[in-house]
Amino acid sequence: MAKVNVSIGVNGKRYELAVEPYETLLEVLRNRLGLTGTKMGCGKGECGACTVNVNGKAILSCLTLAAQVDGKEILTIEGLQRGAELHPLQEAFVQRSAVQCGYCTPGMIMAAKALLDREHNPSEEVVRKALSSNLCRCTGYDKPVKAVLDAARTMRGQHEK
Amino acid sequence: MPFFRPREYYRPRDLCEATWLLSSYGRKAKVIAGGTDLLVAKPSEVECLVDISNLNLGYIRKEEDGINIGAAATLDLIESSPILSSEPYRVVSEAVSMMSTPTVRNMATIGGNICNASPAADLPLALMVLDSTVKVVGLSGSKILSIGDFFKDVNQTILDEDELLVEVHIPYSSKNSGAAFMKLRHHQTSVDLAIVNAATKLTCSDNFCEDARIALGAVAKTPTYAKKAERLLIGKSIDMELIQRAATAASEESKPIDDVRASAGYRRRMVEVLVKRALEASARRCGTWQK
Repeated sequence: MAKVNVSIGVNGKRYELAVEPYETLLEVLRNRLGLTGTKMGCGKGECGACTVNVNGKAILSCLTLAAQVDGKEILTIEGLQRGAELHPLQEAFVQRSAVQCGYCTPGMIMAAKALLDREHNPSEEVVRKALSSNLCRCTGYDKPVKAVLDAARTMRGQHEK
Repeated sequence: MPFFRPREYYRPRDLCEATWLLSSYGRKAKVIAGGTDLLVAKPSEVECLVDISNLNLGYIRKEEDGINIGAAATLDLIESSPILSSEPYRVVSEAVSMMSTPTVRNMATIGGNICNASPAADLPLALMVLDSTVKVVGLSGSKILSIGDFFKDVNQTILDEDELLVEVHIPYSSKNSGAAFMKLRHHQTSVDLAIVNAATKLTCSDNFCEDARIALGAVAKTPTYAKKAERLLIGKSIDMELIQRAATAASEESKPIDDVRASAGYRRRMVEVLVKRALEASARRCGTWQK
């Protein structure tokens, strides 16, 4: 059994790890780094609960091997907050009560983060499309969609300042 | 219960190393690109993973004789590529936009989708109506074959143990061509596989049909051409009645099965509907066709 040496950036911090060839990024984040904000849902690429950003793109960490992201930059839900200050997306999800049980929320927010990084002023349709990778079984989708639109507005405001 | 426990992970730097690894591990080696099929199936017999992300196969290029797409080009790249936005090549991005979810499309690759050889795969149908070829590299060199000849059985391709799919080539079509892709799912926005899918391409001068291509999915062990239906159209003047006859012919020559998604009978009926709609859209997209 040959371990694979990987060097990954997670939320701005560098990690040098020896991982098993079959270890997923999700397992490494949760079990080795203790970053349990990213959730295991279906494990098949259908629910989006494990969504993280790799080099700015939303991907599924349950269907990505840790060995595949060697040399890459990973952003998880834990990397959004700046000190005590929530990210505009997190703040908007709170304000809009877009969270009920919360299991899908980190994945939704990371899918939205990748969207807002490339589109500063997305239409509602574009937001719905971006969130179509993420299943929610409690609140539905209206509040998360509105929260993302709110966050986009806030982030544009911050940009102009 | 056996688990997915590969012992080795390689990221070869060139094709020579990749094919050598594939041949030395034989059936126990598996190529990994996007991982969105492999890590769902998690086959327990895999002992060695060959990651092809360092082989520079993530390109989409316009060449003199057509469009070349590297096997590791991701679906999101294909969906948004300006090279694949004009008629009839946009049938490729049209098919891709209906595949799985946006997040999966950020990961999944064209080569992976082809090599997974699902009978219900979407992308191969679009490539088939454009008469695409695939380039395969093995220990003894490379070969090029028509994508329609690449599939052998359910989830099985003609690839030998040492071989790797490296590129898809889409030859340029005549200017007066139009193509369309249609997919029926249980819920039109859901992630689910196609109950039936179809792609068509027509080349028309005014209403005269110079060439016709019809590819069907989820109605056989592999994606197939509806050859009888194609022959009905070529050399004739295309109107709605002929389109209906071709759609019926395609339905009659399809050989679907009953499964969890739909019955064979329903699938056969839906082949007719999808082919009719796809042919009409293709004719309209030719530019000069009058209904």
